[in-house]
Amino acid sequence: MDPYVRLGLPLQLDLDLEVIAGAARELAKAAHPDAGGDAQQFAEVRKAGDLLKAPVSRLKVALELAGGDAAERGSVPSELMDFFSPVAGVLEEVGAFVSERAQAMSGLGKAVLDAKVPVLKGKLELLIESLGGIETDQVGRFQGFDDRGWESCIDEMGEAFRALLFVGKWLAQLREATGKIFEALLAG
Amino acid sequence: MSVGVSEVIVGIDLGTTQSAVAVVDSGFPILLADEQGRSLTPSAVWYGANGEVEVGYEALHRSGVDAIITSVKSVMGRRAAEAEGRLDAEGRLETDAGKRSPEEISSEILKKLKGVAESRLETEVSKVVITVPAYFNDGQRAATKKAGELAGLEVVRIVSEPTAAALSYGLDRLKEKARVAVFDLGGGTFDVSVLEMREGVFEVASTAGDTQLGGDDFDQVIAASAAASFGLDLSEMEEMERVRFVNEGRRVKHQLSEEGKGVFRIPFTGELALSVADFDVLLAPFLDRMESACRRAMLDAKIESGDLDAVVMVGGSSRIPAVKERVKRVFAREPDLSQHPDEAIARGAAIQAGILSGTVREVLLLDVTPLSLGIETMGGLMNVLISRNTTIPCKAGEMFTNAVDGQKSMKVRVLQGERELASDNWELGAFEVPFKPSRRGQARVGVEFRIDADGILSVLARDVATNEDVVIQVGSAAVDVNEAKVEQMVSESVEFAFEDMNARVFEEARLKANELIPAVEVALEQAGDILDKDELREIEHSRDQVVAAIVAGEVAPLKAAVEELDKATEVLAAVLVDRATQALFSDSQD
Repeated sequence: MDPYVRLGLPLQLDLDLEVIAGAARELAKAAHPDAGGDAQQFAEVRKAGDLLKAPVSRLKVALELAGGDAAERGSVPSELMDFFSPVAGVLEEVGAFVSERAQAMSGLGKAVLDAKVPVLKGKLELLIESLGGIETDQVGRFQGFDDRGWESCIDEMGEAFRALLFVGKWLAQLREATGKIFEALLAG
Repeated sequence: MSVGVSEVIVGIDLGTTQSAVAVVDSGFPILLADEQGRSLTPSAVWYGANGEVEVGYEALHRSGVDAIITSVKSVMGRRAAEAEGRLDAEGRLETDAGKRSPEEISSEILKKLKGVAESRLETEVSKVVITVPAYFNDGQRAATKKAGELAGLEVVRIVSEPTAAALSYGLDRLKEKARVAVFDLGGGTFDVSVLEMREGVFEVASTAGDTQLGGDDFDQVIAASAAASFGLDLSEMEEMERVRFVNEGRRVKHQLSEEGKGVFRIPFTGELALSVADFDVLLAPFLDRMESACRRAMLDAKIESGDLDAVVMVGGSSRIPAVKERVKRVFAREPDLSQHPDEAIARGAAIQAGILSGTVREVLLLDVTPLSLGIETMGGLMNVLISRNTTIPCKAGEMFTNAVDGQKSMKVRVLQGERELASDNWELGAFEVPFKPSRRGQARVGVEFRIDADGILSVLARDVATNEDVVIQVGSAAVDVNEAKVEQMVSESVEFAFEDMNARVFEEARLKANELIPAVEVALEQAGDILDKDELREIEHSRDQVVAAIVAGEVAPLKAAVEELDKATEVLAAVLVDRATQALFSDSQD
């Protein structure tokens, strides 16, 4: 199933999220069993929407349509290299905090740990912000790919894909870590 | 689904403490009232020894005199082990007319509401939409559907409560596009959902909650605290006495929210004046659990509080000032209180009923499954097939093959939950995948897991070689439990525990001491300046006592010394936590 065809959208990477979501919503509205539609069609429309909404999976779809390979291994933009160790470091710190906090038995023991949270949260926020910037930069390349034709920039698209994949994974982990901190704090 | 336009479908909010029935009339959802004009029916059931049944106010009036059943919802679809002693081994409750399952008891409430609807509408009612907490799992949803059937009703849809509340909120805002969070704190359950509404489509982005947290807990905690102040223990009281305390707890809770203070009073037993501040202290652990779920919901929806257009509060307990305050803090905005806390869910159920019967057009609800669905892998881990917050209806497939020549079948355990270890999740049940006789690795059976629009699972197996389909019954896991064996396990562990109780208590106290001693150093360094000389001396003295007790190696003195140090450092701990909280909220408000 070509999600572009399924949703009736132009073959472009540079698409507004609103446009994709709108097309998916209109079709899902008609295909939902409650509106007299068919569950299979509904599932297809949902799937197509999900594939195109997130820039990273839209790029993957485009790469495959252009005859490229959405390989997870390969070159990544150099600015990404600087993030490997800080991300791993802060995730490790959060992991240690969460497990120590869960094991803490005394009020004071917990309080001493909690006192570290603002600093930890600051580190997470800083990383999330800078990774968000990289994500924006990579999505900003989409228009150029469209203008030049996907077939002629497959390598660059592959690189952007891997960058978005890494950034997406890190952002998810960092957000999850933020959630874990709050969960640990609120667990009493 | 093809439903005739003329056919009436009603919506029912089957609540923990009260229930309601509603219908869409001329495009607007209205609650249906009984002969006395009351639109809320207490979810209370009384069984007489001769089989008479009374439901609602009639049953509630017997409270404290006869045994009545309330809050049956909190044991719906649960197993004995999860019901805090309310259910027997077969999952039934004791009544004066014998044993009854939660489904049977719920069906009495549904019959009552069916009757109310029929006399208001002057027509037979046989189809219904029932709401359940968003966080209800497969078993709890299926039990609710069963209750409907027992009441002679066809349950055409199960809808999540916060989603229903969102429908009620959004019905007259169909032209707007908005992202809202619905905070629903009922009598026994708590849910929070994030939804996106636009052009009549209500799409749930995430949902989180706690099916064992609600207003009933607040009644309990007030009652328990008052009992303790009278030198009594709520958990050791006779049933009737306990009910009196809890009922008084509820009255005081309402008084506190309305008047700002309250007096807990049990004649000939005692009196306790409570301030809102006292109540807030009792509530704090519950509020923390709610906050945790709210943050989870925002995280899963990939949004921050600033991305929301409104936070809609419903459920009776949303009237409590401390709850409103906490919601305001977590979402950094004033909550929207435009919906009637007790009626919004029934109205929403009626709207969904209207969508299904064709009387409400241009509205569509896309709900999600609240819990991840998976199967147990070889290593005892959970392999997720459908992740939480996937839009329903949905499906996922998995291929199975035989591990040895001639293997006839393999057992697959189906799980729901978010934990990595299979055993930490809720087991929905297990089924056997049938294999045709063949060499190892040759049999191929595809198993499809479907979650329907009610959030209920069905499983279909297809033999790839023969293309034969088999609908698989997922056997309830409750049947597998061998009661005698569990009993044995429990008694064994109790005996075992007694033998080395002393050693364990000492070890626990020692661990706690090892944590406290360095924590005292750090805390004094960070916040020691707020203490006066006496406080400082007391902490240092308690710490030295602990060190001495460890060296001495006696259980009782060590335990006492650790407790004393714990107490002496309370103020210091509070200051540290306060500072951390201040820092967290000052920088997250921007």
